[in-house]
Order: sequence, then structure tokens, then C-alpha cells
Amino acid sequence: MEGMLFTTQKALHLLVTGDPELWSIVMLSFSVSLKAIILTTPPAMLVAYSLVNGNFPGIRIILAVFNSLLSVPTVVIGLFLYVMLTRQGPFGDLRLLFSQTAMVIGQILLCFPILVALGYATINAADRRVRETAITLGAPWWFTILTVLYEVRFGLLAAVLTGFGRIISEVGISMMVGGNILGYTRNITTAIALETSKGEFAQGIALGIVLLVLAFVLTTFLTYVQGKQEMST
Amino acid sequence: MSEPLLVFRGIEKTFAETNILRNVDISLYPGKCILLSGNNGSGKTTLLKIIAGLETPSRAEIEFSGKSHSWKSAIRSIRREIIYLHQQPYLLSGTVESNVSYGLRFTHLNRKQLRESVKEALEWAGLADVAKQQAKTLSGGVQQRVAFTRAWILKPKVLLLDEPMANMDIESREQACDLLKRMKSEGMSIVITSHDTNIIDGLIDIHFSLSDGKLD
Ligand SMILES: Nc1ncnc2c1ncn2[C@@H]1O[C@H](COP(=O)(O)OP(=O)(O)OP(=O)(O)O)[C@@H](O)[C@H]1O
Ligand SMILES: [Mg+2]
Repeated sequence: MEGMLFTTQKALHLLVTGDPELWSIVMLSFSVSLKAIILTTPPAMLVAYSLVNGNFPGIRIILAVFNSLLSVPTVVIGLFLYVMLTRQGPFGDLRLLFSQTAMVIGQILLCFPILVALGYATINAADRRVRETAITLGAPWWFTILTVLYEVRFGLLAAVLTGFGRIISEVGISMMVGGNILGYTRNITTAIALETSKGEFAQGIALGIVLLVLAFVLTTFLTYVQGKQEMST
Repeated sequence: MSEPLLVFRGIEKTFAETNILRNVDISLYPGKCILLSGNNGSGKTTLLKIIAGLETPSRAEIEFSGKSHSWKSAIRSIRREIIYLHQQPYLLSGTVESNVSYGLRFTHLNRKQLRESVKEALEWAGLADVAKQQAKTLSGGVQQRVAFTRAWILKPKVLLLDEPMANMDIESREQACDLLKRMKSEGMSIVITSHDTNIIDGLIDIHFSLSDGKLD
């Protein structure tokens, strides 16, 4: 095994020289996770809003279900999706196993309950008068929802950032339904997990640095955004 | 007296097994102002919110144009003619101007009419100087004026004011009284809640007080 110093040097070299394989893996991670978060946010916010303001039976139970879904391990989500998408499975004909689409679906399953739970907490803390003001000034139902969501936008953005941080750093789902195919489904986390086991440390360390920098940027931004929300309420 | 605009009959409201409102009837007349007094917690705010369609009653009927309807079936259609102003108004994020124009988006005014209408309203309320300021940064009294203008600009048939004078100094109160009198003469039906009954003399046509869930 090469010396630690040499490996780290090689990792930094890969990063700063813009190694095409490395950066295509990074781009793939972002592309999959951005698609997942963009597709999840609107329906999750609508569900969260209805759980706060709706009056239908079973709201408490639905909330409890979403809260318990928060702690489902990613490999279990991966397993579930694998069984659904495998050739013999109910959705086998779609031929989606080991594709980016499968990874996007899995990450949606992972962040949907997170966004609903955090969105619920944020919207529930919104001032009741916002909704009443919108309604009494004649806003149609959908504009009333937009008005309420806009008043707590920083809290909702914090929820979205948290969800994004979770899905871009998960391994289990991407590994099981993506399959770590180079140039097609290999993302940051599956590359780190598998390349390292083959003794390819430099790329793993370089990708690890990318993930750490991303985590740092997300957390800093999150702190800033949460401060904004507290100031505006 | 002329024909009532709206009659609410048999309003009942129960919160956690307590009857806040018991079989309350109230008629709203065009160009008349009702004062609703009563102790803290007597249900004044609850009654106004039921009339405005913001709170669901346990039971209520609404009568208009000679027909009686259940609250549930009729409230959606009449709600757009009724505006409720909170005891402490909530101004939305954005400028004073965007708050005042909020409800106009849902009317049939075009852009140009909308802008002129907002400009006129801001001048009318003496808010032209603060039009571009963030609404949430203003003092309580000015916020109240913004909320009032935001409602007035929509020319509702019924205006429900919850303790409108509480945050105002004497000068603002007198101004507000004059405004309300003008709105009355334009045929608007107004309901005001207040503990203090003498300051708004000359404005009030009918006085009800709410106690034990009943109106006298
Ligand atoms: N959402 C609610 N849930 C449970 N109880 C409520 C709710 N809203 C109001 N109440 C109760 O209903 C009663 C009437 O409240 P309401 O706010 O209508 O009184 P009010 O006459 O406006 O009082 P004030 O003069 O203090 O403004 C109070 O006892 C209050 O605690
Ligand atoms: Mg009250």
C-alpha cells in the first residue's frame, strides 16, 4: 500500500486537475439527488400543509406513520425497491433496476417523509392569522397555501436542505438499485464504498473531501437560513 | 329599518364541551354599524370569525335574498363580501404596497387599474410615504392602518373589526371614526367589538353585548 501522504497528494491532484472520471461521478450524484429533491418538495409540502390545516379523520395516525418512516434504514428502502423492480417483481417490466431512475425513486422514498415531517413542524408553527388573512382578503385556496408557505419560506428551505444533505450522502439505496455502474449509476458514495475495497484510495479520499465540503457548505447555509426564519417570526 | 343584508340565525359554537355561543341571532344592515361588547373570553372574536367564514360553527344558518341556507353551503359564496380584521393585524412579508394590493389580485381589475387603485388608497390613508417600506418593520398603529387600507380597498359589503381602536392614539381614533362614518354612508355594514363604548359614539347604530353565549 502506498504511503498515506502520497495517496492524499494524489487525491488533491485528482481534485484540482479536474479529473474527468472523478468529476463525472460528482455530477452524477448531484444530478440524481437534485432530481429527487425537486420532485419531492412540492407534493411533500402539500401533504404537510394538509396535515396542519385539514380536518379529516386519521391525521394523527398519518403523522405517526411519517414520523416512524424517518427511521427506516436506507438498505431497507433499497431492498424494498429492489424487490419491486427486479425482473420477477411487480414492476419488473419497466426495466428500471440498476438505472438512475431507480436511484431517483429510492431517494424520493427516503426524503419524502423527512420533508413532510420537517415541513409539518414549520407550517404548524406559522401564525394562524396568515391563513385567515389570505382567506378573508379573497385568496383562492391554492393562493392561500402559497401565501402561508411563503411566510415560512426560510423554515421550508431549511427542511429541503436537510433532505438534500440526507439523500446525497446515502449509500444503501444507490448501491442496491443503482448498482455502481461506472459512468451510469456510480455516484460519490458508491464509488467511495466500492473503490476503496479494491484498494483505490486516492479517488475515495478525493470524493470524501467533496462530500465533506458539501456537508460543511450545507450546514453553514442551513444555520444562516434558520436564523432568517427565526428573525421573520 | 331597511332590509337586512344578511341574517345569521341560531349560531352555536362549542369548544371542548364549553358552549361559547348559544343560539345567537344577528342581522347585518347596509349602512349600519353594530357595536359588540362583552367581557374577555365572552366569544366576540369567535362570533366575528364565524360570520367571516374563518371559524366553523357547530350550527348556524344564513338568510339572504329571502332564502335560508346552512352556514356550510352558503359561506363560501358570501365570504368574498365580508372582511375580518384581526385584533392584532398580520402584515404579510413584503412592502406596504404589496400588502395593500394583496386582495386586488383576485378581482377583475387589470394591471393599470390595480396600480391606480393602490396609489389612491395609499394616499387616502396617508401611507404614500411608507409605500415601499417593509410592512413588518412599521409601528403597531401604522400596521393597523395598513391592514385597514388593505381591507377598505376591496370595498366589501361587510367589514368586521376586532378591537380596532386598541392600538390607536386619540388622533388616530378620531381619524378612524371619520373613516368608518364615511364607509357607513357608502352603504357598508360594519361590526366593531370593543370594551370601551363611549369613544365611538355617533358611529354606533345598534349595541349588543355578549354574555353567557347570548346577545342582548
Ligand atoms: N381555537 C380554540 N380552541 C379552544 N378554545 C377556544 C379557541 N378559540 C377561542 N376559544 C375559547 O373561546 C372563548 C371565547 O374566545 P374569544 O376569543 O371569542 O373571546 P373574546 O370575546 O374575543 O375575548 P377578548 O375580549 O379577550 O378578545 C374563550 O374562552 C377561549 O378560550
Ligand atoms: Mg377577541
